[in-house]
Amino acid sequence: MSSETTSTTAETPDRIESIRQRLMESERFGYLLSPGSGLLWVLLFLFLPLTVIVTFSFFRAGEFGTIIYEPTLENYRRFVNGTVYQRVIGRSLLIGVVTTLIVLPFGYTLGYFLGRSKSRWTPLLLGLVVVQFWVPLVIRTYAWIPILGRQGIVNDFLLWLGVVSQPVEILYTTHGMILGLSVSILPFMVLPVYSIVSTIDEEIIQAAKTLGASDARAFREVTFPLSWPGIVSGILFTFILSAGSYLAPQLLGGTGDRLIAPVIETVFSQDFNWPFAATLSLVYVALIVGILYLFSRKADIEEALEGTQL
Amino acid sequence: MSIREYVSDVGTNWNWHGIKLVSALVYLSMILPLVVVVVNSFSSQRIATFPPEGLTLEWYVEFFRDEMFLSAVWVSTQVGIAAAILAGAIGTLTAMGFVRKPFPMKKALSIALLTPMIVPPVIVGVAATSFFTEIGLDRSIWWLIVMHTLLALPYAFLIVRSRLYLFDETLEDAAMTLGADRLVTFREITLPQIAPAIITAMVLSFVISFGEFTASQFWVQRETTTVPVVIYSMVRTTITPKVNVLATLVLVITMVVPVVGLAIQRWLTSDTS
Repeated sequence: MSSETTSTTAETPDRIESIRQRLMESERFGYLLSPGSGLLWVLLFLFLPLTVIVTFSFFRAGEFGTIIYEPTLENYRRFVNGTVYQRVIGRSLLIGVVTTLIVLPFGYTLGYFLGRSKSRWTPLLLGLVVVQFWVPLVIRTYAWIPILGRQGIVNDFLLWLGVVSQPVEILYTTHGMILGLSVSILPFMVLPVYSIVSTIDEEIIQAAKTLGASDARAFREVTFPLSWPGIVSGILFTFILSAGSYLAPQLLGGTGDRLIAPVIETVFSQDFNWPFAATLSLVYVALIVGILYLFSRKADIEEALEGTQL
Repeated sequence: MSIREYVSDVGTNWNWHGIKLVSALVYLSMILPLVVVVVNSFSSQRIATFPPEGLTLEWYVEFFRDEMFLSAVWVSTQVGIAAAILAGAIGTLTAMGFVRKPFPMKKALSIALLTPMIVPPVIVGVAATSFFTEIGLDRSIWWLIVMHTLLALPYAFLIVRSRLYLFDETLEDAAMTLGADRLVTFREITLPQIAPAIITAMVLSFVISFGEFTASQFWVQRETTTVPVVIYSMVRTTITPKVNVLATLVLVITMVVPVVGLAIQRWLTSDTS
C-alpha cells in the first residue's frame, strides 16, 4: 500500500483526497496514531534514553567529562564497595517514609473535611488546594526561606511565645527540609482523599450510627475503609515524590541532607561523571520499580496514579 | 450563634471542630509562604524581612527593565504553549485508542504511559541529556518542548480518558449511519463532547511545563533560560525583592491561565447544549 503512495506522479487534489481516504481507512496507520502516538513518545523520549544510560553505566569517565567506551564494571563496583552512595539512597528512602507519615494524617484530615463539609465555601477551599498544584514547585519551596530563617516569622513567633530564648535553627536543617517538602506534597494526599470521601454516601455512615456505632467507630469501620483507595494513591505519590525530591534538600536542607536526586545532579553536572551518574540513576530506578512491584501486589498502580484527578 | 452556643457546640461536636482546626493549620502552611512572597515583592529593603519595613514599586520597575527576566518569561510561555498543544493532541489521540480499540496488554501499556509521573525528574533529565548528546543534537528550545510534553502527557491522557469513559458511543454510530465519515464524526460529534476535558488537559500541561525545574535545569542554555531556572539560580545566593517580583508575576500567570481555560470551557459547554 505504501508503494502506491510513493509512486505519485502529479499531486492533483483528487490524488491527495484518495491518499487521505486510504490513510483513514488503513487500520495500521490508525493504531500508529491512536494509541500509538503517546506510547511512541514515551518509548522514544523516556525508555530509549533510559536504555542509553544503561550502556553508559558500563563505560567509564575519562578526563574533562569524556566517556571511554570500553566495557567495565567499575561504576557498579564503586557503588557496592563504598558506603557513601548506599547511605545516600537509604537516607532518601527514609525521608520518603517520614514525609509520608507526616503528610498522611494532615492531608487526610483536610481531604476528609472538604469531602464532608456542607459549607458554601467548600468549592473555594477546594480551589485553594488545587491552586497549589499550579504554582511552580521552586516558588513554593524557596518561599519558606524567609519564614524559617533566624529572623523569620516562625522564630519571631516562638520567641514571642517564650518557648525559646534564642532563635532556633530550622532553615538549612533536616526539619526545615521535611517541613517544606511535606507542605509542597500535601495536595497529592488531599485531592485523592477528597475525591473518594465526597462520594461516600452520608446514609451509610448514618446507618452505622443508627445501629449504635459511636462517631469514632463509624469512622473506623465505615468511612476509613471506604476511603482506602484515596489513601493508597496519596501514599504512592507522597513517597515517590519526597524520596526523589531535589528542590527541598537543595534550598532548605542542611549539608547532611544530600539526598539521591541532588547527588545524581552533582555527579552529572559538576563532576561530569556521566557513567557514574547513570549507574546511580539506574540503581535508584531499580529500587523504585521493586517497591512499586511490592505495592502492585496490594493495590492497583494504575488506579493509584489516577487518584489526583478530580 | 452566641458564644455560649458556640462553646456548647464545640463540646458536643469536638471531632468536627478538631478537624476544622487541623484543616485551618494546613491552609495556613500552604498559603503563608505565598503571601510572604507577594508582600516581599513590594518590600523597600534589599534583603527583605517579613513584615517589610516599607513598601515600594521600585523592584517592579527594575524588573521590566531587565532583559534576562523578560526573555525567561517569553521562553517559558512559548515552551508552555507548545507543550500544551502537543500533550493535548497526543494525550487525546492516545486516550481514544485506549478506550475505543482492542489491543493486547492494555493494562501494562497504560502503566508504561504513566511512567513519566513516577521516574524522578532528575533521572529524566540525566537520561534525556545523555541520549540527545549521544545522537548529536544541540541543546535547543526543542529539547524543552519535547521533554515537557513527555512530562505532561500522563496527566493529559488521564484527564481525557476519564471523560471518554462517560461518552455515549451511540451518538457516533448515529452520525456514521447518517453518512458522516470518521473525520466528520470526530469533528462534529466527538470533539465538542470531549473539548472541555481537552482544555483542562492543555491548561494543566501548560502549568506543568511552566513550573518544571528539576529536569529542565540540564537542558536550558543562556538564551533558553526558563523562569524556574532563573528563580532557582537567584535564590541560591540571596533572595532579593526582584526574585519575589518574578515569583509574584508567575503566580499571577499560573492563576490567570487556568481561569481563562475555565472560561473557555464554560463557553464551549454553553455553546453545545
